[in-house]
Amino acid sequence: MLKTEELQINIGPQHPSTHGVFRMLVTVDGETIMDLKPVFGYLHRNHEQIAEQNTYLQNMPYTDRLDYFNSMANNHAYALAVEKLVGIEVPERAEYIRVLMVELTRILNHAGALGFLINDMGMWQTQLAFGMREREKILDLFESASGARLMCNYFRFGGVARDLPADFMPRLADLLKAMPGFVDEMERLLRDNEILMQRSEGIGILPRDLALAYSVTGPVLRGSGVAYDVRKAEPYSIYDRFDFDVPVGSVGDVYDRFLVRVEEMRQSRRIIEQIVAQLPDATGSHINPKARQNVKPPVGDVYGRVESPKGELGFYLVSDGSGKPYRYKVRAPSFINLTPLGDMCRGYKVADVVVILGSIDIVMGEVDR
Amino acid sequence: MSIQIERGAIVAVARGSQRARLPGMAMVDSMGVVWKHWVESFRKNRGFSDIHGTFTQEYPEEPAKIPEAYRNMPVLLYDDETGHELCTSCYQCARICPPQVIHMTQAKDPVTGKAVPAVAEFVIEYDACMSCGFCAEVCPFDSIKMDQVFELSTDDRPSLTVFKHDLGRPISYYAGIAPNLWAEAKESALKKLQNSIKRRPDVLGIAPHLTEKIAARRRELAAAAAAAPPPVAAPPADAPAAAKKLTPEEKAAKLAAMRAGKGATPAAPAVEAPAAPAAEPASPADEKAAKLAAIRAKNAAAKGDVAPAAPAAPASPADEKAAKLAAIRAKNAAAKGEVAPAAPVAPAAPASPADEKAAKLAAIRAKNAAAKGEVAPAAPAAEPPAAPLDEKAARLAAIRAKNAAKQPDDASGPE
Ligand code: SF4
Ligand code: SF4
Repeated sequence: MLKTEELQINIGPQHPSTHGVFRMLVTVDGETIMDLKPVFGYLHRNHEQIAEQNTYLQNMPYTDRLDYFNSMANNHAYALAVEKLVGIEVPERAEYIRVLMVELTRILNHAGALGFLINDMGMWQTQLAFGMREREKILDLFESASGARLMCNYFRFGGVARDLPADFMPRLADLLKAMPGFVDEMERLLRDNEILMQRSEGIGILPRDLALAYSVTGPVLRGSGVAYDVRKAEPYSIYDRFDFDVPVGSVGDVYDRFLVRVEEMRQSRRIIEQIVAQLPDATGSHINPKARQNVKPPVGDVYGRVESPKGELGFYLVSDGSGKPYRYKVRAPSFINLTPLGDMCRGYKVADVVVILGSIDIVMGEVDR
Repeated sequence: MSIQIERGAIVAVARGSQRARLPGMAMVDSMGVVWKHWVESFRKNRGFSDIHGTFTQEYPEEPAKIPEAYRNMPVLLYDDETGHELCTSCYQCARICPPQVIHMTQAKDPVTGKAVPAVAEFVIEYDACMSCGFCAEVCPFDSIKMDQVFELSTDDRPSLTVFKHDLGRPISYYAGIAPNLWAEAKESALKKLQNSIKRRPDVLGIAPHLTEKIAARRRELAAAAAAAPPPVAAPPADAPAAAKKLTPEEKAAKLAAMRAGKGATPAAPAVEAPAAPAAEPASPADEKAAKLAAIRAKNAAAKGDVAPAAPAAPASPADEKAAKLAAIRAKNAAAKGEVAPAAPVAPAAPASPADEKAAKLAAIRAKNAAAKGEVAPAAPAAEPPAAPLDEKAARLAAIRAKNAAKQPDDASGPE
């Protein structure tokens, strides 16, 4: 009679498929995962404590370094929180520029995330290289507007750091023209692909109620069939002016999460097209000229949140009336989306763990802070 | 399936249609995409609007394409013509810098001791700078700007603590890399610079490596002094009486004359001070040392204390520092009404640059200690000749100490 024995192994913290320094303590029985404990903290940088030593404005470049794929979205969430706390108005043009940047961020994030997911499935580099192509174009645009590709530090209280350069809109129009090609091509390459479907269909199922119980957000939640998007649930900025759909999955497996992201790229493009049409009519300049950057908010607390490409990103700030936040807390989507990893992996094979983790789309800089 | 909501719909994504097709057809489709890319990879991408072809930039051979707004590390601008730096040491950049890597000391008028809108030393720790660009954004004088050179890799970490000498860039350089941004800033920047120059005595504010600009400025000042109106040449005895009646222009002229003549004549106001070193018309170093010692002696005398004899030996640059050190100590001690410890720096010690820095550091430490009402410890003068690395560290520490001293010290002041 054959007898099996459970074995504990570590995947990570240094492992190419963990997307950073992240450890999974896995209990396996043969190839089957019996239990999995995510262990974080290897990239802890004391972000929140540092932020409490800084003035409000000085924190802006630090938020870039949370989720370094999406610095624009992080900037946006933080700027929203502070503006709410102080009561700063944002001119219309600034709002359009902000939403434009954030939606471009969503496209580049998903292009990268899907590339890495496919990479983890074993289709080494092909989709990643194609995804990087659009990502590079968008980063070029970011660089010309903000001065940096990744650490943009572009948002200010009451607007953005500087107006768009003259050649920005023509280049964006070019990119928009090419964009459907990108996304369609990705779908053609992958959506029906037998290999992809075998590696992702029915894998890493996160049932709807469990997703809600873990307060998962973003494409992971929508993949599980919950149509929750902060942009629709609590429209911030000027999201109530744009038509866009919320794609949801039906099963909650890796495949659904993949499809939701592909569709979100299309919807982001839709929003950007509306922005391009409306931006020339927008009033105001790129920043509220009356907004002081050196803010001293009144005593109180505030929670500002956005739908970042990874989920709901929120900043909770408590002000004691001084120029520095008394408490600064980040609700990081990657962190919360990672907590149900054990439940998602239980019962699947070791090789699936990598794919399931890839489908959550985490950035360790945001998980550990 | 889709549910209409406000301005959009909730749509369920369509899952793959694999089963509706012949097995393997999707793979063939995928191969088609990859094939297309393979074919395209034989030509180069033609620019931003082209999404096909190879995107690879052969970077070291092909220079990187950098947009104008690109920012990397901050640098300080100086005017091409006059060599004057735009910075007025207003500390705005140092205050906003999130990782606090900017340090500076303000220039002081050597005669009057008053602060001057110019910067004496400016340090940026490049290794900790996060390239956020805030410093360039807040600078009211458009002095600090973001450079675009990104090839800064080095295995010599101390070299990433960059001093004013290496931070300086001519305006023409910045106008070259960021023509539009400079065009926006130009007018107000140059106007403000002219204002600052008016308030900068001597050669203060001229980038230190522009020696010919400094020499030119000296000649200019000397010529101005020679052409000064008679009241300046009036005998010193009359001066105190006349002082009240001098018009601002006359005052300025007199000051200029004093400055121009400082190398040749013993510093006039320091008569009561014992042993103010009357330097022979000498090399610039001597001249400076003498000037410094004289001024400090004068300050000490003004407080009714006896200033210790400043070493008046024919000064090498190292001696100059020693003199400075002694003077600073004397001044501090005088200010506190204490007995100044004998400056233990042997003026004759053939000091290497490293020693010189160490001495400077010790002096500043002593000063800080004195400010806290303690007896200044004897500075360890004869430290072993230090490596250039120490030198930099010492310099940095000195500047930091100075800045810290400047701020109201509530953490450590048990009053
Ligand atoms: S660089 Fe600009 S902001 Fe900084 S001290 Fe000089 S003038 Fe002020
Ligand atoms: S770029 Fe930012 S981090 Fe660097 S010196 Fe300027 S303010 Fe400081």
